[in-house]
Order: sequence, then C-alpha cells, then structure tokens
Amino acid sequence: MNELEQELFEKRLISIAGGLEYPRTPDIAGSVTARLRPVTRPRFPSKALASSMTVILVLCSSLMLIPPARAAIIEFIQIGIVRIFPPDLEPTPGLTPTPTPMSGAQMPITATAAPQASDLIPVLGQIAGETTLLNAQDRVNYSILLPTYPSDLGDPDYVFVQNAEGDMTILVWLDPQDPDEVRMSLHFIPEGSWAIDKMKPQIVEETTVNGQRAVWTVGPYPLRFYTGELEFTRLIEGHVLIWAEGEITYRIETDLSLEEAIKVAESLEPVP
Amino acid sequence: MDEPTFIRHAVDGDTAAWEALMRAHQEAVFRLAYLIVGDPDDAEDVAQETFLRAWKHLRGFDATRLLRPWLLSIASNLSSNRRRSAGRYFAALTRAFRDEPAPATVEDKSSEKSQADELWKAVQKLNMQDQQIVYLRYFLNLPIAEAAQVLQVAEGTIKSRLSRALEKLREIINHDFPLLQEGYKA
Repeated sequence: MNELEQELFEKRLISIAGGLEYPRTPDIAGSVTARLRPVTRPRFPSKALASSMTVILVLCSSLMLIPPARAAIIEFIQIGIVRIFPPDLEPTPGLTPTPTPMSGAQMPITATAAPQASDLIPVLGQIAGETTLLNAQDRVNYSILLPTYPSDLGDPDYVFVQNAEGDMTILVWLDPQDPDEVRMSLHFIPEGSWAIDKMKPQIVEETTVNGQRAVWTVGPYPLRFYTGELEFTRLIEGHVLIWAEGEITYRIETDLSLEEAIKVAESLEPVP
Repeated sequence: MDEPTFIRHAVDGDTAAWEALMRAHQEAVFRLAYLIVGDPDDAEDVAQETFLRAWKHLRGFDATRLLRPWLLSIASNLSSNRRRSAGRYFAALTRAFRDEPAPATVEDKSSEKSQADELWKAVQKLNMQDQQIVYLRYFLNLPIAEAAQVLQVAEGTIKSRLSRALEKLREIINHDFPLLQEGYKA
C-alpha cells in the first residue's frame, strides 16, 4: 500500500467507524463512586459452615459422576426455573457419604468447576454487575418489584444485574442497625435462565405466595463475580423463599420467619 | 478547575473530584472496553474495574500527564485479559448460538451502521495488538501521540504498527468483506 492508498484507506476507516452504534454508556462514575464509599463487611456464614458446604458440594459433584446416583436423583419440586430436591430423596444407599442435612445435589450446569472454600466467602464489592435501581430497570425486560413490607425497608443498598441466559436482578438490603449484616436479598430470575438452584435444601416446607406454590429452603446460589467466575455463595445466614409468578422466579433470602418472609413476598410492588 | 487540579484533589481522597474525572472519561473507557470484549455488560464491568484500579494507584500517577491515555491503557489490558478468560469464552460461545444474526438485507448492507458493524467484524480478525491500535486510532480517533501513550510505545512504533495493521486489515477486507472495499483504492 503506497502513502496515498494508506491515506485514503485511513479516511475510509474513520468514516465507517464513525457509524458504529455503541450501547449507551452506563453510569459508571456513579457505580464506582458508590463502591468507593466505606463498605463494612456483611455478615456471612461461618468459616466452619463454609468449609462443610464445600466438602458437601465437592462430594456431591463427585457423586453425580456415578450413573446410579445420578439416576436416583430424578424427582424434584419445580418452582419456576428453580429445582428443589426434597429431603427424603436420598442418593443410592451405599454411595451416600456421612449423612448431612444438605446432602445430595445436582451437578451444576455452569462453566466452572466445583467451588473451593474461598468461593463461599463472598464480598458484596466483588459481585459483578453492580448498578443502580433505575439502570437495572432500564436494562431488564420485566418489572423490578420492591417490598413494601417491612415499611422501614426502603430502597435496596445494592443492586446487581447479572446475565445468566437472561438478566437476573439481585437486590440487597443491609441492616441499618448493623451495616455489617445483610438484612435481606431478593433475586428476580427470568424464564430460560440456567440459574437453577443446585442444592438440596436443609429444610423444605411447601407454602404459597399470592396463591402460588412456594418453597421455604436454605442453600447457596451461583453468582457471577468480577473474576468472571460463577461462585456458590449465600448473602445471609437465613432461609430462602422461592416462588414463581408469570415468567419470573423470585428468591428471597432472609433471616425472618416463614410467615414474615411471605408477608414480604406478598408486598412486592413495582418501583414507583 | 483543570484536570491536574482534579487529580490532586482525588489523590487527597476527594471522591467527588474523582467522580468528575470519571464522568469526563467514562464514555471513552466504556467504548474501548466494548470494542474489545464485545459485550456491554462485560464492558461495564471492565470500565468500573478500570476506574477502581486507577483510583487505587492514583497516588503514583504523574498529575502533569493526561489522564485519558492512562485510563485507556488500564482498560485495554483489562479488556484483553477478560477476553482471554474462560468465562468470557463461555459467554461468547453461548451468545454465538443465541444471537446468530440474521443475514443482512440489501437495504441493511447499504446503511452506515451495517458497514460499521462489518468493519468491526473485520478488525476482530486481527490479532489483539493490531485490534487495539486500530480501535484507538480509527474508532476512538485518538491522535498518534495519545495512542502511543496508551500502548506505552514510541510514536514511531505506533506508526509502523499501524501501517502493518492496515495492510492486514485491507487483506481481510479484500478477502472477506467486499462491501467495505469501495472508496479507498487510489
């Protein structure tokens, strides 16, 4: 290419490249500024619990490599896109390790290997997709609902939108009396997402939310971190209420009682 | 206040000053990340990480220099790393299956946007080093001197790299993107 040709080519490139349509630039400055605020570490499950959960996950992942065990785990409660394995469904006798309240799990359908111990110790600042409530509502194609109960709850302290074959929204409230603790989290999981609950719950109690079938359970959940990896984690030492309405599966993680959690679930209203 | 003053305030821990600087440069950082990683959510993550890292290391930054090349340098590295990561590879695979674009119509192909998309695809066939320099120079319209600062090489090096990248890009266009061939032949 001679000099003239290169000059023409460069002009042509600049002209064409100028027509590229970029996505709207998100409020990166706002999100980063929010992350630079002093953030106290939320309360997380104890290291002992984290370690035991890791052992269980690794054990269960190994177990699922064995066809008879996999074949045994065929029944589950389906709430929206979330599959819950009832506690009375144990893997094939003889293959089960030391019984634990949370034994038995489905092999994660994720891009990552079984989690390591450190994966179970989350830091809110490391979870990918932090955004604002308004930006989240702009991005997702469903209504983000906020609990109107308890009345003092207010807007979430953290909002994340993560792509999991559909944009999953996660709202997190800190305890105003003790910002070291996560008070509650609420997941919105759209239909078609691979974000299926993997863990067989410690407690399964069937209930209803707005007349819809729901389950009351506990267990970690895959979240995407800034490393790009999917990691199993819990945001709070509490229970999880799962139900589905329309094409959205909801997941409230809280240390409230079941009755209180249902009140929260039934109080969801669109963002004003 | 000028940029060096904002930077000095930010170095002293003034997050408002840093926010003002971020607002001034967030579009360029986000766009470069988007060009390299190809996904708006990933680009947003990269852009946020860029500003967080810059904030962390701001004390070591020479406030008499321009901030944008430094930010774009961080963003370029983070974007390239992310693109190499397994997670990114997985996401790209799933997107490829999910978002396979429909064949463009004749009308679409004549549009500026379509041409720009075609050019972006052509550039993606270059190696990462060549992609970076093409994005900086022709998509973000950075002067040679600033592109050199971003890539931390001499201006002469940028010119020779650009020349080689353009040769390769023209070959790619001639071979695979006939729609883009008009208008540059002498």
